[in-house]
Amino acid sequence: MSTDPDKSAWSETDLVRMAQKGDLTSFEELVARHRDKIYARAYSMMRHEEEALDLSQDAWVKGWQRLAQFQGDSSFVTWMTRIVINLCLDQLRKQKRQRAESIEAMEEDGGVERQMPVDNPNPTAGLERVELRERIDRALAQLSHEHRTVLVLHEFEELEYKEIAARMKCSIGTVMSRLFYARRRMASLLAGLRREGSE
Amino acid sequence: MKNELELKVQAWLDGELPDHEARRMGEWIARDSEAAALAAELGCVKKAMFRHETAVALGESREFYWSKIQRQIQREAGVRRSRGLPWYARLRKYMLPLTGMAALACMLLMAVVRSGSPAFDEISSTGEGMEAVTFHDQSAQMTVVWLQDNSPAKVDQAAQKSIRYEDEPGTVIDLQ
Repeated sequence: MSTDPDKSAWSETDLVRMAQKGDLTSFEELVARHRDKIYARAYSMMRHEEEALDLSQDAWVKGWQRLAQFQGDSSFVTWMTRIVINLCLDQLRKQKRQRAESIEAMEEDGGVERQMPVDNPNPTAGLERVELRERIDRALAQLSHEHRTVLVLHEFEELEYKEIAARMKCSIGTVMSRLFYARRRMASLLAGLRREGSE
Repeated sequence: MKNELELKVQAWLDGELPDHEARRMGEWIARDSEAAALAAELGCVKKAMFRHETAVALGESREFYWSKIQRQIQREAGVRRSRGLPWYARLRKYMLPLTGMAALACMLLMAVVRSGSPAFDEISSTGEGMEAVTFHDQSAQMTVVWLQDNSPAKVDQAAQKSIRYEDEPGTVIDLQ
């Protein structure tokens, strides 16, 4: 594969238009521009490098096949992000069928953090930006797939409850419940991490 | 606080409540310290996460990452092309090897039949009222046929005919 210097200067709209006509080199330039973002979204949901890599590549293949459906209602990268999210959700559903979820189900019905009184309304106070990012990442890694996914879709992708419910194939009530638990758990984890850091 | 109220505090925070309900909820949160503390904690997590996603970069090179995508696209394009062919073209794909196998099977069958068929020395065939006995001699390249008429009119005569047939051009008939 050769990097086309002309294509790197092209606008995204032109690249998409050419790719829709079947120009694979234009599509390759789009992949090069957004591959980190698509991989990052897959990784934030799967928390597994190999899986995230495979799913992000599968998403690009799907994107190429469905390129004719892209109408430009959203940005190209937003459209691609939706594809990778759907692939990740499918993968998580498959994994869920293969493992026992009793602990997560118990947590969802009423975990400890959910019922705890609020003792620190600002668990992230005093943290620097980079440090905050690292702690959020570490805390996210400790959540179950369901709670992490609902947080990622709401906070990072800024989807509404009903959109999340449609994507996760569950009720709005379940989304609200999972989001509530996930936030309280995150608050607890972030406060705990801050305490660890100050010791 | 009841779970339903907790979820409503969260929905208020996320702007998911209708205007009139959001206004009432806002007034209640301002009055209730427990609700206010919960709203503050949830809001803090929401704010912390907003635009604070950890940047994750791929370890793969651009070429390596693209190569798998390209291969997959080309492979799936090949599958789609074959799906787009008319039925007779797709059938031909399967018929060619099948025809070859059938031809091979026929050849094998013929070979088996030829090798397995006994080199007959004597064949007897009985027609209506007529009996025929054939004798073939490989070494002499000669076939001899005896014909015997058993029809009622001829029984008494006990006529018996013998025909000798040579594989070489020319036929000799012996009458006994």
